[in-house]
Amino acid sequence: MRVTVAEDAVLMREGLVALLERFGHTVLAAVGDAPALLGAVRRDRPDLVLTDVRMPAGDSDSGLRAAITLRTEDPALPVLVLSQYVQPVAAEALLDTGGGTGVGYLLKDRVADVTGFAAAAAQVAGGGTVLDPEVVHRLVGRRRDPVARLSPREREVLDLMAQGRSNGEIAEALVLSGAAVGKHVRSVFTKLDLPAETGGHRRVLAVLAWLRSGGPE
Amino acid sequence: MQDRQQLRVLLLVAAPWTVTAWAGARAALTRTVLGPRGTELGEGLADVATTRARLVGAFETERARIERDLHDGAQQRLVALGVSLGLARLDVADGSAPAARLDDAREQLGLALGELRDLVRGLDPRMLTDHGLAAAVTDRTRRCPVPVRADLQLPDRLPPQVATTVYFVLTEALTNIARHSGARSASVSGRTHADQVILEIRDDGRGGADPATGSGLDGLAERVELAGGRFRLSSPAGGPTLLRVELPCG
Repeated sequence: MRVTVAEDAVLMREGLVALLERFGHTVLAAVGDAPALLGAVRRDRPDLVLTDVRMPAGDSDSGLRAAITLRTEDPALPVLVLSQYVQPVAAEALLDTGGGTGVGYLLKDRVADVTGFAAAAAQVAGGGTVLDPEVVHRLVGRRRDPVARLSPREREVLDLMAQGRSNGEIAEALVLSGAAVGKHVRSVFTKLDLPAETGGHRRVLAVLAWLRSGGPE
Repeated sequence: MQDRQQLRVLLLVAAPWTVTAWAGARAALTRTVLGPRGTELGEGLADVATTRARLVGAFETERARIERDLHDGAQQRLVALGVSLGLARLDVADGSAPAARLDDAREQLGLALGELRDLVRGLDPRMLTDHGLAAAVTDRTRRCPVPVRADLQLPDRLPPQVATTVYFVLTEALTNIARHSGARSASVSGRTHADQVILEIRDDGRGGADPATGSGLDGLAERVELAGGRFRLSSPAGGPTLLRVELPCG
């Protein structure tokens, strides 16, 4: 796929470019600030935009705001945002664009897991939603009452579902059988009164929508 | 050579000023304690409070700077290093000696990044400013590798500096417990009593905690003192450890 990269720290930018190229992608442009990002994306219409939240020139979150601007102009443009620390508010603002599809928000540290990161980038480019586990923990953590009805195991399942894991991946992560995971998933949906269970990406969005509907405490 | 001479001159000039400032501070404190009555005492107390507020403000600025430096410097370098190691790993065959060495290096790097993240989180009150004290403390207790029971009954609207100090105290205390105590469980409680916030942090670890041994406790004691509070520690050898902090919030 064709990618536009925006990152102000040179070392990090070079690392991202090397990583993407290693996985067979083409980097159309690698820029260091938000105005350059806006220009490059409008010119090239890449398959994926990868940008840092914080870049120099303008406000501290100029990368995030550029990402939101681009998604507003072109809701089908896949955007993956990297942040140095978790800001649930920023992640949610991003999720609100383009119906939450083709969008991702990850902690920068995750890039060090090159294979996992390449998979996340491909998922976002393919229209998926990728949220950093830390953001998901926060979202799960702030929904108190209904989440309290879940067993500890069901909470773990909910957490992984919101991160976009499939039943098979959840089974592997929790060392459970596929059937056991299916049972927990159904139980979570029933207890939280979620709409009839759907698979794949729609499930992620349903779970995230439910987590967010509680609002901040 | 000339530089050194200049420096010496500067030191000579600077030294008496330091002494004067110290004497001035002493005088202010003495006045506070011994001041005869009424307005003079009131003014003295206000002076001390202003100085204290200024010190706490300087502390916050410094903390924000360190946090930013760590993010922009060390963390970026470590992540970039992780990418290099990860890419190198893709180029060597599974099961080979270099692969094992690279996997080990990546694991070490992962730990270093995790520790750095925890350190920055301790410095970074963003969770606190965005979500309030209760959420920030819950977040912190969940991250503690030792199970923590938290019982906080504090008003929602504590003065920001008090909330920051409470958060800092709990963060440092839990970090200490995780690092040094060997505890299996811990508890934190917070309540207000007569215009004071009273925090108690207990753990069932091995005890023997001592602020003088350079653990995080000395910084904690200093911070509490700066906020005009009291810091008390009971930690007999063999445990348990109880840390009690009282902070004025009126």
